[in-house]
Amino acid sequence: MSSSAVSCLREALRRSFVTLENQRSVWSGVLADCSPLMDSLGNLAEQMSALSRVQLSDTPLRIFPDLQDRLRSKLLQDTDTVLGRVRDKMTELQTVRDSISKQVSAVLQLYEQNSDSLDLSVMTERCAAAPSLADMLEWLQDAERFYRQQFLQRKTLLQTLRLDHLHLLESAPRRWKSLDCPGSDQQITDTLCRLAFFMESQYPGPT
Amino acid sequence: MDADPSDVTPTSSNRKSSAITGSARKIKDNAADWHNLMLRWDKLNGEGFSSATNIVNMRRQTLSSQGGGLGESTSVPSDQLQAVEASLQEECSRLQEVVQKMAAVLKKMERLVETQRGIQELEQFQFGPGGRTVPLFHSWTTKDFEQTCSLLLVDFRQELKLKQMILEELAHTTNPDLNLVYLSCWLHQPFFQTQTRLSLEALLLETGHRPL
Repeated sequence: MSSSAVSCLREALRRSFVTLENQRSVWSGVLADCSPLMDSLGNLAEQMSALSRVQLSDTPLRIFPDLQDRLRSKLLQDTDTVLGRVRDKMTELQTVRDSISKQVSAVLQLYEQNSDSLDLSVMTERCAAAPSLADMLEWLQDAERFYRQQFLQRKTLLQTLRLDHLHLLESAPRRWKSLDCPGSDQQITDTLCRLAFFMESQYPGPT
Repeated sequence: MDADPSDVTPTSSNRKSSAITGSARKIKDNAADWHNLMLRWDKLNGEGFSSATNIVNMRRQTLSSQGGGLGESTSVPSDQLQAVEASLQEECSRLQEVVQKMAAVLKKMERLVETQRGIQELEQFQFGPGGRTVPLFHSWTTKDFEQTCSLLLVDFRQELKLKQMILEELAHTTNPDLNLVYLSCWLHQPFFQTQTRLSLEALLLETGHRPL
């Protein structure tokens, strides 16, 4: 009885870590796409700031009377386009977050449904090829929390970016980069390394 | 009397190019030439932007080594400074070459507009002031072609004028904001609005270079 609940939970955890590993690559890819977009936003904002500090009528460019408006309009248009692309990327990040959250939620639900037959000794039992169920549940929740927080922080940053707040746009690349969390990210990598055997095998419960 | 070759109209602009003759052939070839010239212009714009950026960076180096900075001295050895100034001269020559090539592109565009005007005048001679009754392609009159191309030319002419000014001023400007404005102008080409690119696309669609 207890052994079938253990097998179910073990298999659910295994599938979750496989999903986590796949979704991690998707997340990294999307973040890598965001970097040049954020740099573009910073550049465009710098250009708009420079334009606002120069009175073109005091420069040789005065022979083009409508140049300031035209250039400003172009820069605003390009900034808007880039912001649109960043928002599309956020949608992709949201899909990753939702996928991981959904998976973890299902595993936790399974655990709760079978918690009567999964006592402490079963949950903390480990073997050579697999860590304990308790450890794995904890790691999974840690990973889910990481992606949830990362998404929230990046989404919040994005919401501060508006065409009329140039200084926030200029600092966007630096602030975006500062949200990187290499320590926590490395922890998830290490966890997945530790689980390599477990993820590859499908085996019955310990008893 | 045999049909006038300039009067031949394809029933569908999906017909193979070899079947189109006369005015329609000339207009279709013009549209292809416009497209190629625009591609050439875009390529030159990219090359020019690299040179312009290098010029600004090198100017910044030479200015800061001439004691333009605050507080700390940035004493650069004179031979290094000479090397930077030589590179600066080289980049300015490169930029000048780009602008000259862009001027050559503009000349070709002017010729295309003249050809278009010629076709329009021929049509008026053959069909009267109202022009031909059946469009050569989908829906544009020959006047439409002439107007579109003339408007494209206006934009390119203004852009070239701007680029010529940037060429003259870039290596002499000390204001970093103005330098960035010059670079912005070069890169973003403010006299090309969305309409400019759309006009070319419309020209290509109408003449069958792009599928509908």
